[in-house]
Amino acid sequence: MECEKIEELLSPYLEDELSLEEKKEVKKHLKTCKSCSVLYSFMEETKESLADFPELEISEDLLDRLYSIPGKKKRFKLGFDFLLRPSLQPVLAATIIVFTLISFYLFNPNKHHIDKSVSRQVHLGYSKIETLYAKAASFADSLGEYKDNILVSLKNIKLFGGNED
Amino acid sequence: MLVNTYSKNIFNMAYQFAGSYQEAEDLTQDIFLKLYNSLAKYDFKRNFSAWLLTLAKNHLIDQYRKTKWEKKTRDDFNEYNLSSEAFENPEEGALKEESKKIIWESINNLPPEIRMTVILRDIQGKNYNEIAEIMSLPLGTVKSRVNRGRLQLAKILNKKKERKNGM
Repeated sequence: MECEKIEELLSPYLEDELSLEEKKEVKKHLKTCKSCSVLYSFMEETKESLADFPELEISEDLLDRLYSIPGKKKRFKLGFDFLLRPSLQPVLAATIIVFTLISFYLFNPNKHHIDKSVSRQVHLGYSKIETLYAKAASFADSLGEYKDNILVSLKNIKLFGGNED
Repeated sequence: MLVNTYSKNIFNMAYQFAGSYQEAEDLTQDIFLKLYNSLAKYDFKRNFSAWLLTLAKNHLIDQYRKTKWEKKTRDDFNEYNLSSEAFENPEEGALKEESKKIIWESINNLPPEIRMTVILRDIQGKNYNEIAEIMSLPLGTVKSRVNRGRLQLAKILNKKKERKNGM
């Protein structure tokens, strides 16, 4: 057998997983080929060294970090984590302001003063709107009059087939 | 419960693979975070331990590919790696520790999949069927990877010892 083929069989030979026939062939080759025999002994040493690496204990710090993971996850398990989305933050801020104002109004001892003041402001606003509405109506009337006058003048101009008199 | 049962195994796997104590701690934390995020996907027909080790293996190899640890050196061979075994013959003990040091430093020369297979087989002592399940590979491929890994390490050990003896 060639050395390359033997190399493929060294691990199974080391772990006693070869058939009797293969085992005999490898054994025979190792007796006659020095390089394969040296390689095999180093493979044995490698396997032995690897098996000898001790299992390490983990640090207290790492244990603490690992124990804190499920707790962190639970906070988000209720399904309200969407509230923490940045896009919802302005909405949440506006809601908080509205609720603060409502509670300020509801629990204020001088509530009737606020009511009066609000009602006065509403009436003032209402009367201002009425005045504006009246002004707008008179402005629309005067515009209508101007329009009629202009139309009459145009009809009387000869250029447009009207009577100049 | 999960931390008590599996953290030591995962940490050791990460340490043996990455070769850095600090890196192994961070990787272990990442793996447990992934575990809690993936628990809903766990198929109860599968062996839990193998499923978790597959998740850990995938994370370690992915991180290796992202960060290219092969460019980094492993932690110095120190008190973490020394065996607790007491040798009657101090000379023999020193030779064994020297081989272990060379092997420890050479693990990074192995490609990630082969490195992981060798770690599972020779350091963690798992059987080939377990490794095939963890690595999601056919049994024959696992055996061939273990052989290739051992051969590569044996050749490095041979070369380094020859160089040392030739000096």
